[in-house]
Amino acid sequence: MKLQNKINIRFLLVTFLVFAVAGVVFYFALGRVVDQNIREMLSSRKANIILYLQHAEADSIIHVSPDHTIFIRQIAKTANRRTISDTLAYDLDEKQLIPFRKMVFTTSVNDNYFEVTILQSLLESEDLQGIIFFFMAILFVLLLLTLFFVNRWLSEKAWKPFFRSLSLLKSAKISEKHQISFDQTGISEFDQLNRTLEEMIQKMQADFINLKEFTENASHEIQTPLAIIKSKLELILNDHELSGSQHKRLHDAFETVNRLSKLNDALLLLSKIENQQFVEKSDVDLSKLIQSRLEYLEELFALKHIELSVQLDIPVTISINPMLADILINNLLGNALKHNFNQGKIFISSGINEIIFSNTGKPMTIDATKLFKRFVKYSASEESTGLGLAIADEICRSGHLRLNYTYLNDLHSFTLSKVVE
Amino acid sequence: MKILVIEDEKMLCETIVSYLEGEGYVCEHAGTVEMGTEKVNLYEYDCMLVDIGLPDGNGLTLVRELKQCHPETGIIIISAKNSLDDKVMGLDLGADDYLTKPFHLSELNSRIKSLLRRRKFDGQKELIVDKIRILPENRQVYISGELLSITKSEFDLLLFFISNPGRVLTKESIAEHLWGDFADSSDSFDFVYSHIKNLRRKLFEKSGTDYFRNVYATGYIFES
Repeated sequence: MKLQNKINIRFLLVTFLVFAVAGVVFYFALGRVVDQNIREMLSSRKANIILYLQHAEADSIIHVSPDHTIFIRQIAKTANRRTISDTLAYDLDEKQLIPFRKMVFTTSVNDNYFEVTILQSLLESEDLQGIIFFFMAILFVLLLLTLFFVNRWLSEKAWKPFFRSLSLLKSAKISEKHQISFDQTGISEFDQLNRTLEEMIQKMQADFINLKEFTENASHEIQTPLAIIKSKLELILNDHELSGSQHKRLHDAFETVNRLSKLNDALLLLSKIENQQFVEKSDVDLSKLIQSRLEYLEELFALKHIELSVQLDIPVTISINPMLADILINNLLGNALKHNFNQGKIFISSGINEIIFSNTGKPMTIDATKLFKRFVKYSASEESTGLGLAIADEICRSGHLRLNYTYLNDLHSFTLSKVVE
Repeated sequence: MKILVIEDEKMLCETIVSYLEGEGYVCEHAGTVEMGTEKVNLYEYDCMLVDIGLPDGNGLTLVRELKQCHPETGIIIISAKNSLDDKVMGLDLGADDYLTKPFHLSELNSRIKSLLRRRKFDGQKELIVDKIRILPENRQVYISGELLSITKSEFDLLLFFISNPGRVLTKESIAEHLWGDFADSSDSFDFVYSHIKNLRRKLFEKSGTDYFRNVYATGYIFES
């Protein structure tokens, strides 16, 4: 959910709640005020009637007022009492039963006792209450709508610099050298945020470059001593005075140094892929690439008497760094060759957006899910670094590809597929 | 033949020079771009080996320099940076070959020989070793005037051995020479063995001489 909508919905909910509570309170308060008003009116009429009874002659007292709201009745001696109640009465003007407030009280004037009933119509006050409430409701809705739109407009305006920064961040690439600079927004929070982001990105770019330099320097620093050891050993191996066993020992050392340098190469390659240092990409047809590699490797398959069946008619074109594409295909082909039987079989076929490499070979002794982990060897082949598939997997991850392994019908199959977005 | 080796790592430089001198080349060496520039401008060489990462700059500047004053000199870049950019840039500048450290000395030697063959004799030079006559450009081998039927790998193998006569060529360097990245396959030594067996047999059948000698557990020597 967008931040703006979230804020707006919450704001509206709270406003609505406040208005609802205020409306209820207002309604009851209004009722009470009206009630109070009617009581006062009844009291003042009562006082007028008592005054009238005190001054009028006993015989000439009018018992019913012309508007049928006052009824006076002479009664026997009684104690003073007063009751107020609500009632319905027929109104001649409205021609219907309407609510009245009725006050009945007794009073005595010169030993004559009267019972007086006063009726006060509640119609007007109820109408008034209704009208006030109606206008209040309209006002409330209008206010709510205005607040909603004003709020939306304001927040859109206020968050604009934020969204600009966000889109700038999205397009930013750490591997690119050019600096990202945010505009001055004039809002101190956003300016602070932008400044912090700018500093962070600069730091990240600097770190990235440092890391890149470090991997390359590490490669240089380690490969050079290895090159020295290797070349010295090679020189000694050419010494004709060496005995057979000395040759063997020297060669063992030579072989180990060779392996070490390959391991170093592979680890550096892995970290370079992880650091996404292979930025340049071009469209590579993997089917074609495999074909050309196979021609080059033909004799290696022939030497192991491996039967090769290839169906690469469907081109699988991906955007990838050419060097990584080479390594990926080399590793997968090498894997199929290395872990195969003599007189084994290799099947390579391309489909729409996928290429399958299958080979015969011993069933694996390790967990298939660990296959792409580093230093996992699934056969005791000593020359293997255990990094070939880890590198292949890492290349796939970095380039919108997926590499899956299945073992079916005595065939190890690796499926290389394009991740369709 | 004069070779200039520009390499800042003293020990590696010594080893390379000593190996190449054993091959009969006259070697000079420099450890910095400055010294290299001086030598390049003063003398003439048949081939220059240059490291990219030098203490006072990039070896590629020397490639540029040399291309200007002595364009006929062959250039091989040796670098610890296995970076495609450096390789492409170096070759663009006019370098003839590119080797990544650590390399086999025999591989370096064979590259230098092949480079000199191409540069000095326009590729028309034929190599004659005993009864074997090789036409590198045509990839043909004659023994006592008779064309030998030979596979591509066997040809590469023979050329590699002939470039390094009397030297022990390890199984690793042979495998890497033939198959590059695929050399780490556990079977590659068996492959080397069977290739050499075939080549040996073919040469022996035509010439009656066995040119190869096994070195216990290590590799092979080509002797004429």
